[in-house]
Amino acid sequence: MSFGNGKAVSSDGDSAGPLTWLATFGVTTLLLVTLKHALWLVVPFLLAIVLYYVLFPAVRYLSRAGMSHESAAATVSGLFSVAAVLVMFPFSAWVVANSASGEAALWNYVESGKGLIARLLGELEMQFGFLAQWDLQNEFPRKASELGQRFVQEHVTGALIGAVAWVPSLLLAPFLAFFLLRDGRRFVNLLIRAVPNAFFERTLHLVDRVDTMARSYFQGLLYLTLIDTACLGIGLAVLGIPGALGLALLAAVLGWIPIVGSIIGCIIVVLVTVADGTSGPGTVYAAVALFLLVRLLDDFVFMPLTIGRSLQMHPLVSVLLLFIGGAVAGVLGLIIVLPLAGVVMVIVDCVARIVLDRRLMARYAYARRLRSLSANADLKA
Amino acid sequence: MLPLIRKRRDPRDLQGLAHVVLFSTLDAKEHRVVAGLLHERRYEQGEVIFDEGEDSQALYVVISGKVLICRQGEPETGKVAEIDPGRAFGELAILGGYRRSAQARAAQDCVLQTLSRRDFDGLAESHKAIALKITLQIARQLARQLREQTGVVSDLPL
Repeated sequence: MSFGNGKAVSSDGDSAGPLTWLATFGVTTLLLVTLKHALWLVVPFLLAIVLYYVLFPAVRYLSRAGMSHESAAATVSGLFSVAAVLVMFPFSAWVVANSASGEAALWNYVESGKGLIARLLGELEMQFGFLAQWDLQNEFPRKASELGQRFVQEHVTGALIGAVAWVPSLLLAPFLAFFLLRDGRRFVNLLIRAVPNAFFERTLHLVDRVDTMARSYFQGLLYLTLIDTACLGIGLAVLGIPGALGLALLAAVLGWIPIVGSIIGCIIVVLVTVADGTSGPGTVYAAVALFLLVRLLDDFVFMPLTIGRSLQMHPLVSVLLLFIGGAVAGVLGLIIVLPLAGVVMVIVDCVARIVLDRRLMARYAYARRLRSLSANADLKA
Repeated sequence: MLPLIRKRRDPRDLQGLAHVVLFSTLDAKEHRVVAGLLHERRYEQGEVIFDEGEDSQALYVVISGKVLICRQGEPETGKVAEIDPGRAFGELAILGGYRRSAQARAAQDCVLQTLSRRDFDGLAESHKAIALKITLQIARQLARQLREQTGVVSDLPL
C-alpha cells in the first residue's frame, strides 16, 4: 500500500472575507424568516439557552464536589424549578388580586404621560411663539387619545390572549434547559461522530469557538443586566421614585432589546415618576439624566467588561444586522439577531476554511477512496 | 433518558482504557469519567490522521492497529516513530494550541480514541485529580522521549 506523497499542508490562512460576510448575512436572514414562523419553539429554546448558561456554573461546582454530571444537572434543575414555583405562585396570586387596580394604574400612567407631554408642549409654545399656530398643547392629547384607543382595540386584546397562549410554550424552557445541561455534551459528541475523519479536528475547533462565543455573550448579558439593575436601582432610590428596584430590573431586562429597549425602559420610569404625583419636574429630568448616564456607562465601561468583544463584530455590521433583524422578525429579531449572526459567522467561516482548504478536501477524497477499496477488496474478478 | 444520545459504555471499553499508558494510573471510577469524554475514530490503512503544521485540537490513543509518525509526505523515508496499541500521540495538543510537528498516518487499519483540548480543560475544572494524573503521565512520556533522543544524540560521532 502506498502512502502517497502529499506535500501541501493545510493552512488557516485562506479566508473567504467578503464572501463569508455575504453568506453570514444571507444565512442569518433566512434563519430569521424561518424562526419567525416557529416562535413557539424559538422563544423557549432561547430562554433555555440563557438558563443553561446561568445554571451551568452550579452544575460544574457540584461536579467538582464529587457528584456525577447527571446527578448535578438533575439537582440544579430541580432546585431551580422549585425556586421558580415558589416565586411564581405568590406572584401570580398578586397579579390576579391586583388586576383591577393594575388596569386603573395603567390608565393613570398613560394619562400622566399625556399630561406631561402637554405641559412640555405648552412651555415650548410660550418660549417659541411660532409654535402656537399649531396649538400643539391641545391637539396632541386629542390625537394621542385617538391613536391610543385604536391601538388598544387592534393590538392589546390580541397580545394579552397571545400571552396566555404562550404560557405552556414557555414552560418548555426549564425542561429544555435540563436536557441541555444533562445531555448537551452527548448531543455535540453525536454530531461530531458523524463528521468525516479529515474534518474532525476542525470540527472540534468549530464547536469550541461556538461554545465560547455563546457562553461569553449570554453570561455577559446576564452580568450586564445585574449591573444595570444595581446602578438604576440605586439611582432611582436616591431620587425617591417608588418601586425603584423593580423598575430598574424591568428597564435592565428591556435593555436586551437593542436600541428601543432602553428607550422604552426610560419612558416607563418617567411615566411612573409623573404618575406618582409627589415628584416635581426636576425628578423627571433627573430620571432621564440617570438613564442617559447608565446608557453611556453601558456603552463605554460595562459592555466592554461583560459582553466585550464576544461576537467580534464591527459596530457598523452590528447596526446593519439590527436593522435586518427588526425588519424581518420584529422585536424577537432585534433580540436574537446579534448572537444568531455571531454563531452563523463562526460556522460559515469554519466551513469556508474547510471547503477552501484543498489539502483537507484531498484527504477526505483519499479516505473515501481507501474505504471504497477496502469494501470492494474481495469483490474483484 | 434519550436512547439516541445516551450511549452506555461497554465495560470492555473501560478495561481497554486501563491498558492505555496515559490512563493507567486512574482508578475504575475515573476511567468511567474519562470514557465519557473520548471520541472513537476509525482509520483505514494509509489514511492521514493529521498533517505536520496543522493546528492541534486533540490527543489520540491507539486502541487497535498501528500509527506511523513521519515527516510530512515521507511515510517510507521519513519515519519518526510507530505507535502501538495502548500508547498515545499528539499529547501536546491538550497542553496548548501547538501546531503538529509531524504527520500521523494509519500504518494499519486502526481504532483510535481521542480526547479534545476543550474536554481536557473541562476535566481540569471539574476533576482536577484526573487531569493531574493524565498530565503527569504525559510529562513522563515526554521525559522518556527526551531521554531517548538525548541518548541518540550522545551516541553520534562528534
